[in-house]
Formats: sequence, structure tokens, C-alpha cells
Amino acid sequence: MTPLERAEAKFGWKLVTPTILILGLLILYPLMYNVYLSFFDVQLNGYKTFVGFENYIKLLTNTDYYSAIGTTSLYLLGTVVGTTLLGLAMALLLKDPFKGRGLVNAAIMLPYVAPVISVVFGWQFLFDPISGVVNYLFVDALGIWSERTNLIGNPDSALWVVVLFDIWKHAPIAYLLILSKLVSVSRDQYEAAAIDGYGPIGRFFHVTLPELYFVLATVVLLRLIWNLNRFEDVYLLAPNVQTLPIFTYYQAFTGVIDQGLAAATSVIQLAVLSVFIWFYIKKIMKW
Amino acid sequence: MLGKRTLTGRIGFALAILLLVSFSLLPFAQILSTSLKHQYDWGNPSLIPQTINLDAYKELLGLTEAKKVEMPAAIQKILNNPKLPQDKKDAISAKYMSNDNLFPFGKYMLNSVIFSVGAATFSLVFSVMGAYSISRLRFKGQVVIQRSVLFVYMVGGVLLMVPLYQMAMNIGLASSLWGSAFCLFLIYIVQTLPVGMYMLGNYFRGIPFALEEAAMMDGCSRKEAIIKVVLPLSLPMLATVFIYCFIIGWNEYLFASVFLKQYPEFHTLPLALQELFVSKNAIWDRIMAASMLTLAPIVICFLFASRFMKGGKTDGGVKG
Repeated sequence: MTPLERAEAKFGWKLVTPTILILGLLILYPLMYNVYLSFFDVQLNGYKTFVGFENYIKLLTNTDYYSAIGTTSLYLLGTVVGTTLLGLAMALLLKDPFKGRGLVNAAIMLPYVAPVISVVFGWQFLFDPISGVVNYLFVDALGIWSERTNLIGNPDSALWVVVLFDIWKHAPIAYLLILSKLVSVSRDQYEAAAIDGYGPIGRFFHVTLPELYFVLATVVLLRLIWNLNRFEDVYLLAPNVQTLPIFTYYQAFTGVIDQGLAAATSVIQLAVLSVFIWFYIKKIMKW
Repeated sequence: MLGKRTLTGRIGFALAILLLVSFSLLPFAQILSTSLKHQYDWGNPSLIPQTINLDAYKELLGLTEAKKVEMPAAIQKILNNPKLPQDKKDAISAKYMSNDNLFPFGKYMLNSVIFSVGAATFSLVFSVMGAYSISRLRFKGQVVIQRSVLFVYMVGGVLLMVPLYQMAMNIGLASSLWGSAFCLFLIYIVQTLPVGMYMLGNYFRGIPFALEEAAMMDGCSRKEAIIKVVLPLSLPMLATVFIYCFIIGWNEYLFASVFLKQYPEFHTLPLALQELFVSKNAIWDRIMAASMLTLAPIVICFLFASRFMKGGKTDGGVKG
């Protein structure tokens, strides 16, 4: 190592040290501490007693836990498929420049940046059984449903409202990722395919889709990673939809508080998440 | 052969755009509409209010005149009791008067601003340092740090709420008001730092090293080169990162509820709005007006930031 390189390395460490300290202390350490906590009976005031694997046994024999896994799976399936397809449709639709595209772009990005707490109230009002426009549409205007229903009040239907909400909120991000790849597909390829006799649909399947394969995989993986931990969107819109994060939150901070059990839930969830993240860093990230 | 647009094609395209924009904006339109409606008008499916009602906004922004509350005779009697110390009397009368301002929106907004702007500022400083280090300087362990930053970037808050709360409890911070506020502040920095580093790291890599080198040839130290060359070149990105971090803090609910629920005077907007919604004071027009006012700063920031984010940039786009 030359003195210059040594000076560079020293400077590098100096700059990155605060970050390492903060992230280490407040993310990496808590993750390990969480594993430790999962072997204890933990009170809200910090009082702990060692219980070994009891939390895990309690968790794995709890039917609510399995139903939370089921709900989470449906939520993930619905949001991943919906967000990717809508994002793709948006990208295809808005790929070519047209008058007013900037405005349309701003409008469709708005759900993504808006505070969850504000927009959930809009959604709650839309689905309100008395004043909401959804009930008005399906009961009074179209007559498809025979009576007004509280879609958010019933956990089964609320899940699908939450899925729709999540698609609405995160399709813009899928759109941006897909669009950035889509605009790089060269026009020559489409013309070649057109000369070969492919119509618009054939061109989509033989040119666009193969080119987008990688970015679509990225979108799917990112949706899985973020939505596995999604808390606010679900809890604030429909607190009765118990996906895993909501289940954990209830265990940890409401009713009969059992933070050790919540810790055990988080440990299992982190293990699953780590697989997704490892896959993402390994296969997709080029940092 | 390509790009031939028939009339039906054009109409179909316009309809699809219209549908998409309506889908995106409908909830916003609903919020705005309900916030301006009188109660008798709520059940009306039309988005346009029959008459505009600004009362909810006036009330939230403190523009209404304080209503004189008639003191019940019994209370008046207690207050006239000469044996009662003056501060007790003040407390009692204040309690009766306080019904006027049910939702101190301004206070919550100030809390939100302090938390999110403060955290974004610290986060930006640390991420500039960290991002420069891992994207520009070579040293052992750099790759491990890069990967770790990416990893923690994707770990959600839900996995951290129990251990962070317990840590704060163990060192005694969670049981005091200022301790809890301090914890939340730190957490907001941590929640935004990896994103900032990730965005800035990608950006710094795109700045030609030759520029810095030239500055250093002219006698600048590396530190000076960063301050005089790299940072001015990155200004748009610095603004974007700052706004991005600010938005994350502004929108955050989970940790605010874990740490600050029991301290109403420190509630941030998301927490306050949720508490209002589940309380008996929930009235749609007031909630919608509060939502609108919570939304407004974000929309403004976004419109400002999007000027810098032209060209399908997805630097920050993976979060969410």
C-alpha cells in the first residue's frame, strides 16, 4: 500500500464511520437483539424471563399465526401481480411522447408520494356504506349488489380493498422501473418484427416481453420485499386485515402484550425476507 | 408501418389515459370534495359540493373566533370560592375553555416539520459522507459496507419495532417525553440514511473523477475538492434526497405510534390524524380538511422535486 492509498483508505473510513455506527447500533444490533428477545417472555416495561423455545412453540401452534400467513400470501399475490401488470400497462401506454404527458405523469405519481394517512381517509370514504360512491355505484346506479355493504368492515372483503389500495399506490413505481427499460428497446427491433409479419400483439410477445423479462423480475422481487413488511397501508386503511406485520404489532403493543412472541414472529419474517434480499443483491443489484 | 394511428386508436388511447388519471386522482378528488361539503351533502355522490363550506379549514387553521362557552352555574360557584388557589381556578376554567380547539392542527404540523426536516438534514449530511466514501474511495471492507447498507435499506420498520422499543426501555429513554422524542428522531435518521446513501452513491459515481482531480491539481485537498466541486455539481440530487427523506419522515406512522402515543403534545400529523379518526370528534369534513393540509406540503415538494427527476430516473424509485 502506498502512502497515498493509505491516506485514501483512512479518509474513506473516517467518512463512513458515523453511518456505520448509526446503522449498526440502530438496525443491525436490534436485529440480533430481536433474536435474543425471542427466547424470553418480555414485558412492555422491559422485564424479561428466559423461556427457551416456548415463544416459537406458542407461535407454531397458534391458528391465528397461520391465518396471518394465509392473509399475507393472498396480499402478496394480489399486490405483486396487480402492481406489475398495471405498471406494465401504464408504461406501454405512456411510452411514446404526446401532448400533456408531463401532467399525466405527475398525476399518476401522486398516489406514490402522498402520505398514507391522508389517502386512506379518501379511500375509506369511497367505500363508506352510507355515503361512499362505490356503494352508490354498485347498489343504486348499476344495481349489481342488492344492498349496501361495508366492504372495509368485513375482513374478507377488506383484504381486497387493501390489495387494490396498494396497487393504486405502488403501480407508479413499477411503471417508472419498467418505463426506463422500455424506452431503451430499439425501434429497429419492432420494425424487424413488423417486417416478419407480427402484428402489435405478436410484437409485444416476441420483442417487448423478452426485453422486459429482467426488469419485470426486479419489480416482482422488490414488491415482495417491501410488501412483506408493509404495515401502515394495511393498518391505517383496514386494521382488521391481519397480515403478518399487523399480527406482530397487535402482539407487541395491544391487548395481551407479548413482546417475546412478537420478536419470534419478526425473527421468522426476517429469515424469509433475507432470502428475498439475498436474491435481489446477488442477481439484480449491480452496486 | 409502425406508429400508424387510426381514429379509433386515438380515441381508445385518450380513453385509456382518462381512465388511468381518474383512477389515480379519484381518492384525492374525494378528499378535497368532502372537505368542502356540508354534512347534509356527504351522501351526494357528486364530487362538486352544492355549497362550499370552508368551516373545517378555518377551524383547523385557527381562523374561527373562539366561541364563548357558557360556564355552568356549579362551576362558576367553585370558581368564586375564595379558598381555592388561583392556579386551580385557572386550570378549571382552562378545561372548560379548551373545548373550542378540539384539534390543534398547527401544533401537530409543527411537530411533524421538526421531526421530518430535522431528521432529513442529519440524514443528508451523513449520507453525503457515507455515499462519497463507498462510491469514490477505495478501502478494505468497502464491498461489505455497500452490501450491508443495501440490506438494511430493505429491512422494514416492523422487524425493528420490538427490539428498538426494548432498547429504549432498557436505557430508560422510552419512559420520558424527551427521551421518546429523541428516540423517534434517531429512528427517522436511520430510516432515511440508507435511502439517501443509495441514491447519492449512484449519483456520485456518475460525476467524472477528472473534475475532482483537476481541483486537487490546483492545490485543493480532497475535502476541499468535495466541497467545491462534487457538492455544487450534485445540488439537484442533494435537494431530491433531502425531499425524499423529508417525505419519509412526514408520512411515517408506525414508530410515531410506538414511541409517542402517550404524549399527545408531541404527536406528529399521521398519529394525530389517526387518533382524531378513532375519537368521538371524528367528523368527515374535519378529517378530510386535515388530510388535505397534510397532503399539501408533500404535493408541493413533489412537484418541486419532479423538475429534477425528469427523464425516467429511478434513483430513488426502488423504495416503497
